[in-house]
Amino acid sequence: MHIDPLERKWVLVSLGMCALFVSIIMIDALFHGVNAPSNVETIDSRKIHLSEEFGEDNLGVQVAENGEITVRMVAGRYAFFPKEITIPAETKITFRWVSMDVLHGVHMPMTNMSTMIVPGYVSQVESSFPRPGEYPMLCNEYCGLGHDHMWSKVSVIDKEEWDASRAASKTVTSDTIDEEQNNE
Amino acid sequence: MNKISEEERQKILESPPVGTWILMLSVAGGMVAAWLFLYYGVFLSRGIIN
Repeated sequence: MHIDPLERKWVLVSLGMCALFVSIIMIDALFHGVNAPSNVETIDSRKIHLSEEFGEDNLGVQVAENGEITVRMVAGRYAFFPKEITIPAETKITFRWVSMDVLHGVHMPMTNMSTMIVPGYVSQVESSFPRPGEYPMLCNEYCGLGHDHMWSKVSVIDKEEWDASRAASKTVTSDTIDEEQNNE
Repeated sequence: MNKISEEERQKILESPPVGTWILMLSVAGGMVAAWLFLYYGVFLSRGIIN
């Protein structure tokens, strides 16, 4: 089959560009851990409120003893629970999502936090947010008539502000405990 | 119209397609630059995700 020499050059340039893009993405995926979220973990969506992890008292932002931050949220028609959360910037955050009813999607505009929330599964996404600010958290998978009103708010604050507020809340907690002990 | 000699005509036909290369590499370079800007400047700057 005869291929015109000029056409061959164009094809080689195009294929070379594709090879460059794919190799950059693969290098980042393999060596820097940049890859699409992939988590297979099941849960009974009908009994989320009875589960230990996604019970109402356990939702929201939690800081483990080693400093790891996990955000647990439930998506249901037509809101995300809890409605507002505050997280620090430039910190790895693990989001764990479940749906209580139908298929939802969640996306924070101007960030890379985006995933589907499939009933029966726990969606887990790890991301960090370099820029402080107020971000909406929107549902991006049609879930019913109220889909366009399904959103919540995420406040990303400076890491210093976060550390200061955590230190202040620990001081208040220890003062409260001391006061209770003195009263006893 | 100026007539070119057979020798000049053969020289033009057998010379490498410089203009095509310039055009091709300019378009490719622009596309690669735009892709790299979007990948590193916009996507990764918003935080690594996994």
